[in-house]
Amino acid sequence: MRYAMAIDLDRCTGCHACSVACKVENNLPDGIFWNRILTAGGKSMDTPSGTFPNLSMQFLPVNCQHCENPACVKACPVKATYKREEDGIVIQDYDKCIGCRYCMVACPYASVRQFNWKKPEYAIDVAMGDAAITPHQYNTVEKCTFCTHRLAQGLKPACIDTCPNRARIFGDLDDPNSEVSRAIQGRSYFHLLEEKGTKPSIFYLT
Amino acid sequence: MAVVTNTKKTSATNLWMIIFAVFAVLGAVCWGLQLTKGLQMTNLGTDNMWGLYIVGFMIFTGIAAGSLLFAAVPYLFKLEEFKPYTRIASYLGAVASVVAASLFIIVDIGNPERVWLFITSGNWSSPMFWDFIMLASYMVISIMFTRKLILLNEGKIEEKSVKGLALVAFAAGILVTVTSFVFSFQVARPLWNTPAQPLSFLIAALAAALAVMMILSHILNKSGYIKMPIGLLAKMGKLTAALLCIELIIVITEILIGLYPGSGEDYAAFIWLVTGKGAVSFWLEMVALVTAIVLLAKQGTSPKAGLLLGGAIIALIAIYLIKSNLLQAQLFNPLITLPGTPVYGGTTEPYVPSLLEMGLSIGILSLGALLLNLGFGKLNLGTTADTRKL
Repeated sequence: MRYAMAIDLDRCTGCHACSVACKVENNLPDGIFWNRILTAGGKSMDTPSGTFPNLSMQFLPVNCQHCENPACVKACPVKATYKREEDGIVIQDYDKCIGCRYCMVACPYASVRQFNWKKPEYAIDVAMGDAAITPHQYNTVEKCTFCTHRLAQGLKPACIDTCPNRARIFGDLDDPNSEVSRAIQGRSYFHLLEEKGTKPSIFYLT
Repeated sequence: MAVVTNTKKTSATNLWMIIFAVFAVLGAVCWGLQLTKGLQMTNLGTDNMWGLYIVGFMIFTGIAAGSLLFAAVPYLFKLEEFKPYTRIASYLGAVASVVAASLFIIVDIGNPERVWLFITSGNWSSPMFWDFIMLASYMVISIMFTRKLILLNEGKIEEKSVKGLALVAFAAGILVTVTSFVFSFQVARPLWNTPAQPLSFLIAALAAALAVMMILSHILNKSGYIKMPIGLLAKMGKLTAALLCIELIIVITEILIGLYPGSGEDYAAFIWLVTGKGAVSFWLEMVALVTAIVLLAKQGTSPKAGLLLGGAIIALIAIYLIKSNLLQAQLFNPLITLPGTPVYGGTTEPYVPSLLEMGLSIGILSLGALLLNLGFGKLNLGTTADTRKL
C-alpha cells in the first residue's frame, strides 16, 4: 500500500479551507501551518501577477510530499523521522526529535517542516480537533501526517473532506481502482521539484 | 629578577583565566535562558534554521582537523623545524576545538537532553551522524597523539613509535571533508551541493588551524612558553596566504558560474549575496580575504610578528564570513519562493545573530581558551624550561 494525494490545480480556488481544517483537526500551535496555500502570482499571498486587466493567479497548496525517497529520512541523525513500511507515510516522532533541524535543511519543499521555536501557544484555551492526535512538543520539528489518526479510524485526511471544490483526492496508489489512481489516470500532472529525485506522493493535476 | 618576571606572568595568566571563566559563566547563563525560553531567543527562523552556532561548529571542526594535520605532517614528511610545536597543535585539536565544536552543536539543538540518541538510535545514512563519529574519533586520536608527543619530548619513547599514530591523525585530518557532506550532500541546497565544498572545507580547515596556531605562537612566544623563530611564523603565514588564495578562487568561480546564466536557483542566491541583502557581509568577506592574503604573504626580508598576528586574526574573520555567507545565501533562497500562509519565524533577512547567540558563542570560545590555558599550565607542551610556569 502507498498512500498518495492528488491536488487538482484547476479546481483549487485558494480558499485556504484545507489549511484551516488541518490547523483545527491537528490542534496546531500559533504560527504553525502544516498545509500552506502558496500563490503563483504577485509578490504577496493571494495577489495576482500582471497589470489590470491582464492579471493571472494560480494557487499551489503545499504540505509534506511524503516522498518515496525522502531526503529528510536520510538526514535525520537519530531516526526521529522515518517512512512507514506499510503505507509509505513519512512520520515525525516528536519523542525522538532532538531539534537539530537538519530535516528542514534537507527537505526541498520549503517550510513544510516547521519548528516549535517556543512553547506551543494556542489561539484559544480549549484544545481543538481530534483527541487522538499526538501532543505538540517544544523544540521539535513537526509536519503533515496525512492525518494518520483519521486513517486509523477509516477516515480520510481532514483537508480531503473539507475541500469545497473536491480539488484534493486521496487513496492507495497501489490500488488501480482507488480514487487517487482513477483521478490521475488520463490527466497530466507534475510533482514538485521532480528533478531532485525525492519521488513525492503528491500529484498536482493540471 | 627572573622570579619577579615569572610572578608577573603568573598573575597575568590568572587574570586571563578569571576573564575566560567569567565569560564561560556568562555563556552558561545565556544557554540557560535559551533552554527555558526556547530557540525563539535566537534570530533563527523557518528559512534560516541554522546560523552562528552551526558556523561555529564548522570552524572548530576545521581547526580540530587542521591541528591534527599540523601535528602529524612534520613526522610523516620530516619537517624538523615544526616538530617542537606539534604538541601544542595536537592539544589544540583535542581540547579547545573538539570541545568547542561539540558544544556549538549541543547548544544549537532544541533538546540537548536527548543527545544520547546519537548512540542508541544513530542513523548511518545521516552525514550529521558521521560528523558525530568524526568528532568523537578526533577527541580520542588527539588525546592519544598528544600523550605520545609529550612522551617523545621527555625521551621516554622513540620517534618511530609516533609514526603510526601520526598517519592515523593525518588521515583523520583529511577526512574533515566528511563535515562538508552535512551540507554538500543535500539536493535541496544547490549552492552547497557541489564537489567544490569538500575541497573548500579542507582548505578552510588548514587555514583556520594555521591562523590559530600563529596567534597562539605569538602569545606563547611573548610569555616565554615557546621560542618559535619569526622565520617559522612567516612560513606559516605564507602557507595560510596560499590556502586563502585557493579559497578566494573557489568563492569567485562559484559566484561567476552562478551569475553567468542570468537566471535560475544559483543565480537567485548569488545575486542576493553579491548585490542583494547579503551584499554587506559578502563584500566584507572579500575585503577580509584580500587583506589577510596581503598581510600574510607580503613579509619582505624582515617579517614582523605584529603584521603576522593581524593577518592571522583577519584570516579567521574571513573564514567565518565565507562559511556564514555560504549558509545564509542558500537558506534565504530556498527552491520554492512563492508567497504563502505566513508561519512563525518566517524570513527576516539578512540574519544577524541575537545578543544571546553572541553571548553563548563567546562563552564557548572562553571555555575553549580556559581549557587551552589549563593544558598549557598542567601539561608539558612548550619548548622552554618555563613551560609549566605559564
